[in-house]
Amino acid sequence: MSAELRLEPGFTPDPDLNGLPSFGRHPFGDRRQSLRRGVTAVVRVKNEARSLPYSLPPVLRATDAVILVDNQSTDGSADLARDLAGRMGLGGRLQVIDYPYPISRCGPEHLGTAPDSVHSLVYFNNWAFSHVRTAYSLKWDGDMVLTTDGEALVSAFCWQVGSQRVNLRLPRHPVYIEDDRVAYVDLGMDNTEHYGHPNQPGYSYVKAFEWEMLRFPHGSRNFTLPAGSCLELKHLGTDEFAHWTTPDAFATSPRTARKRLEYATVVALTAGRWADLPAVHRVEAPKGVHVLEHLDRVWFPKLPRPILSRSLSEAP
Amino acid sequence: MSVPTPEVEPDTSNPRGFGESQWLVDFHDRLLKRANVRVADARPQAWLDTARVCAQERSRDEALRWLESTFDAEHPEVLLKDPRLAWFLPLWRAAAMRLDIAPGVVMTLRAPSEVVGSKERYYSTHVSPVSRTAAWVNHMLHTERATRDMSRAMIRYTDLLDDWTRPIYRLGETFGLTAVRSATARDLRRIHDLIDPDLHRVHTTWDDLEVPKSLRVIVDETWRQLNHLADPDGDSAGVREALDQLRSEYTQLYGDAEAIAESSALAARRKKQPTPPQPDRTEQAPPPSAPVAVPEPAGPRPSRNWLGLRGHRAR
Repeated sequence: MSAELRLEPGFTPDPDLNGLPSFGRHPFGDRRQSLRRGVTAVVRVKNEARSLPYSLPPVLRATDAVILVDNQSTDGSADLARDLAGRMGLGGRLQVIDYPYPISRCGPEHLGTAPDSVHSLVYFNNWAFSHVRTAYSLKWDGDMVLTTDGEALVSAFCWQVGSQRVNLRLPRHPVYIEDDRVAYVDLGMDNTEHYGHPNQPGYSYVKAFEWEMLRFPHGSRNFTLPAGSCLELKHLGTDEFAHWTTPDAFATSPRTARKRLEYATVVALTAGRWADLPAVHRVEAPKGVHVLEHLDRVWFPKLPRPILSRSLSEAP
Repeated sequence: MSVPTPEVEPDTSNPRGFGESQWLVDFHDRLLKRANVRVADARPQAWLDTARVCAQERSRDEALRWLESTFDAEHPEVLLKDPRLAWFLPLWRAAAMRLDIAPGVVMTLRAPSEVVGSKERYYSTHVSPVSRTAAWVNHMLHTERATRDMSRAMIRYTDLLDDWTRPIYRLGETFGLTAVRSATARDLRRIHDLIDPDLHRVHTTWDDLEVPKSLRVIVDETWRQLNHLADPDGDSAGVREALDQLRSEYTQLYGDAEAIAESSALAARRKKQPTPPQPDRTEQAPPPSAPVAVPEPAGPRPSRNWLGLRGHRAR
């Protein structure tokens, strides 16, 4: 099984991991001299074929390289990504690699998995980022869609950041898609997390209780994109919580409050009770326009600022 | 085409006026101060410092509200001119997008030795020609990079002085400017009155300035490559690649210079630190032979901007 994973130059195989590299506390530390300037987005996907047509193009345009790490998708995500990049004339910017091991789901399953196990989110992320050949990386998900505003900012960030020790923080707005013309946007959640980091000593993915997290040097500076930069797609009618052990796994901890809110929102939307959710806005696109295009071109640009926690009456 | 009023008052360096809006200049000055960046700043990392300010909601909102106020039925085409503007392109770009305004960028290309010479003549004498030259490279290379995916045009300063009709006509076509396309004879006369070759008063050459060879090589090549961009169809992949390489070389050179000069920077910081309070006379002084610890800064001091960010993580 280990032969299916590539060993990148600069990493040494670990006999205890069947010849796979062991990453330790500085997985990106010994390659600085071989990294070129620029930013690579590492897009981790598992069955994201529905979202990739919206999520991949902007990040492909904005960054210098994209590595799509496919974790056992059965919906043709990898081929779709190649096809999308090819049609954009950016096939040379995309690298698709497979990660053949099942990964423990967030929650108790993750907690019970050793961080250096190939089934751990920690190992998976460090392995995925070990393929990056630029000085800076973005952690990306297959359901994250940059808006036009966000794309311009990320594109500029890619040449601005150089080799500076700066973490990129990105706010995301959950968008629950009902169909091609209708979606629900949640503006009540401050959902800003670290999504970019230099590939330098001191940075690595480490284990947290429910999931993995980025470890970075104390005192690192942040660069935070404004609200309205990125959407997080969720398709109503599909299981958006399959990467969690069970809903009970995020039922109690303060750390999982956002996940609980998302779950409650999905339940309410599925039951047709969106009006009960004060920060959720129903958006209907004009006929012939996809709702995501409408959100990007019209709805978000016209949205009064500050964006977060606006009441329904203030939505355009 | 209108310049939002009031405009910056003319002075001896520019007796016919700057064509710059006072509000815009003041706004950019405030933002530069917030980012701790100078108008002519040679640090490649300064671009991220101003980008951080551009990403702040209050800056974006202020820019949007002002830009919106400058457009009306009588003023459908507005000119924002300010050398500081290059630092804040993301801000204006986002505002234009939200207001459904098509932005276009015009950069003037003037020989770097003349730019440095002009600043030497009219501005502070506390900045060396070397630093001014480095700031020119930093400004031009990064502004070029920042405008690549925007509608843009480069105009040579000398072309404007030789025969402004050709480059201005081209601008009108590039951006579809009604102000140019429907300019009246009166308008054209006013431009002739404004553009006066006699105002080309600074003709400094490299013979007049002492600039290290390592920097000169980059400056000369940057100037050569940027000039291609002013040619019709000159904005090619090859030129962009060459400019990318120059940007990388300049960043490396600056980083090396910064590392070499680190002792000077640390000494200057130590000098600026306030004198610690003197011990009470009754307090026992350390013996004369005791080593004196001089704390050295561990790294960049945190700015207010990022100290105020929320750090919670929940999903």
